[in-house]
Amino acid sequence: MKSPLKAWRSTLVVRITGTIVALSIILIWLLGSALYSRVSSGIFDEKQKLSILDAQSTARNTQIQLNFSKYQDKAALALVFDDILAIPPKTFESTAKEIVVFSFENIDNKFKFDGASNLLDPKSVPADFREITRQSTGTESARTNLIYLDGTIEPAIVVGTDLLISGVGKYEFYVIFSLSQQEKTMNLIFNYLLLAGVVLTLLIGTTTYFLMRRLIAPIQDAARVAEELTKGNLDLRMDFQGEDEIASLGYSFNEMAVSLQQQISRLENLSKLQQRFVSDVSHELRTPLTTIRMASQVIYATRDSFEPTVARSAELLISQIERFESLLTDLLEVSRFDAQAAVMEIEETDLVALVKETIDYVHPSQDRIVNLQAPISPVMADVDPRRIKRIIRNLISNALDHRENQKIDVRIVESENEVSIGVRDYGTGFNYTDRKMLFERFWRADSSRARSTGGTGLGLSISLEDAKLHQGEIDVWGERGKGAHFVLTIPKFAGGSIESRPLSAQLQ
Amino acid sequence: MTSIMVVDDDQDLAEMLGIVLTGAGYEVDLVNRGDEVMPLFTSQNPDLVLLDVMLPGLNGVEVCKLIREVSMVPIVMLSAKGDKQDIVAGLEAGADDYMVKPFDPLELVARMKVRLRRSVVEVNSELCIGSLKIDQIEHSIIRDGQVIALTRLEFDLLVALAKEPGRVFTREALLSEVWGYRPATDTRLVNVHIQRLRSKIEVNPEDPKIIVTVRGVGYKAGVPGNSQ
Repeated sequence: MKSPLKAWRSTLVVRITGTIVALSIILIWLLGSALYSRVSSGIFDEKQKLSILDAQSTARNTQIQLNFSKYQDKAALALVFDDILAIPPKTFESTAKEIVVFSFENIDNKFKFDGASNLLDPKSVPADFREITRQSTGTESARTNLIYLDGTIEPAIVVGTDLLISGVGKYEFYVIFSLSQQEKTMNLIFNYLLLAGVVLTLLIGTTTYFLMRRLIAPIQDAARVAEELTKGNLDLRMDFQGEDEIASLGYSFNEMAVSLQQQISRLENLSKLQQRFVSDVSHELRTPLTTIRMASQVIYATRDSFEPTVARSAELLISQIERFESLLTDLLEVSRFDAQAAVMEIEETDLVALVKETIDYVHPSQDRIVNLQAPISPVMADVDPRRIKRIIRNLISNALDHRENQKIDVRIVESENEVSIGVRDYGTGFNYTDRKMLFERFWRADSSRARSTGGTGLGLSISLEDAKLHQGEIDVWGERGKGAHFVLTIPKFAGGSIESRPLSAQLQ
Repeated sequence: MTSIMVVDDDQDLAEMLGIVLTGAGYEVDLVNRGDEVMPLFTSQNPDLVLLDVMLPGLNGVEVCKLIREVSMVPIVMLSAKGDKQDIVAGLEAGADDYMVKPFDPLELVARMKVRLRRSVVEVNSELCIGSLKIDQIEHSIIRDGQVIALTRLEFDLLVALAKEPGRVFTREALLSEVWGYRPATDTRLVNVHIQRLRSKIEVNPEDPKIIVTVRGVGYKAGVPGNSQ
């Protein structure tokens, strides 16, 4: 499973769906809250109007009741007020309506009366609202809470006015209407709105997701097919139906794949043909070359009876035929590499012995021009000995050709999994910037320089191919006038790869 | 006089080989087609055959098989293809040695001489390898009273191993001992011929007792009396 962050970054479907869902949540929220506040203010405003009317009529009736009553003392007053406050408590269905009465400050102590109906806490009327009501001459209203002595609290609207008892003074008169019914309605509306919002969001989300999936699928398919094409699976094509833009993408994509395949197979055929040609030419050249070689050998064997110029010609003939032959062998080898027909014959081999043998083969003379530094114990590695020998032979021959009468150092250094063989000469060297060119076929460091040696110009190129067959490499250092250092590094075990270099070409 | 049969479709090369070999003191018969080899072979009975692989009429590998059906004469294949498969095909058909064109004529003559020479007859002329008796004078191998026909090369290979029963021969050592001068890496010659030899002399070639493989080194002679 991908982490969500990664999924967000890597899949367009998730990203677009996420964005659209977020946008729709914001939009639904805005719409919902606008709707809610409109409905809510509609309901509450209506209730407020009715409440004020109701309160006013209650106040008027109470005032009339008070006008017709007699008040000798506090007890008589209390009786009248108790009568006023004795309204039926709210039932389950009806909207609660409660009344609170306070006497004004300046009322004679014996006529003081503060009271509320039905166990209502008189604190249900906020102090600041009482202040406003006392100052006002008309009717005032505000939002409050019904606070009962048993602890229940309900949202409510309070309407306040004052009553006058002639000869006694003013009383604050509050009618409080419960808003719990309206609250309930609003809660219900809120819940419905929320539910609708969630459902809508989910709907938008899933619709977008599946639509995007549909839309993206051909693009993903294209990406997958392109990847397979890159891997070389050229027969794969995109599936598509219909005639829309997506189908046109599929069509063009497949057209491209077909054209690519044709081009590649055309080039492959061409290159196969060419490799085949080189190989055939090399083979066909062998038979006449054998005849020429034998003929020249016969002539050479009797050169003592020739005139000096003819005898020298016989010598040149022999040496040039040898050169021609090695060129042919190298060409054939190169054509094998090009055709990827080179076969490895892996054997466990002691590289120290192999290098010693090669040095003796390349430079059999006794004077020690080639100086070997190698571990005393054998260095065993899984290699194709013929190829490794050929690399070493090429590197040493190369060094001998360019050594300018200096000695040559050959070093074998091993690590746990790799072995390096370095060939260092202190002769002509080359421009370090040319180091990549060294391995190009027939490349010469100085084209104006006469070819004094028998090199074919293919040696280093073949060596590099041989090294690559072993999963190895040839590291190079060189400087004009200071010599050159070639280091072959290969893994010791078949199928391994180079992780470190026991010997670096630069380390000079 | 030693007679050599040269089979090559390239007339110039055949003629040149003729000149070189005549110069080296051999009598030479030239053949240009594969299907002309057998009639001439039975009438001339040459001492050695130089056989090109690519021939009109019948290819060299087929010709080699036909010759082996009637004779144990040394056969040296000449191949323009240095590729492994061609060489192995030639050796498996019964060729003793091969040369890849373009070859050095001196090397060719040297190798032919090795193939033509007779093994040195020693005083102790009866050698044993495994349960086999090797009669060096008669050049024959006897197993359970039956004579087994071997080519001269196979005989030489067996003798080389039998002469030093305790020694383990590397492929390189066998190359120089039996084939003479050879590039040291060319060990498939040994592998192919050991296989051929085993198929002739071993009771069970899958589990060889006469020529024993020493893993990672080479071959040695089996212990006498331990071949069954």
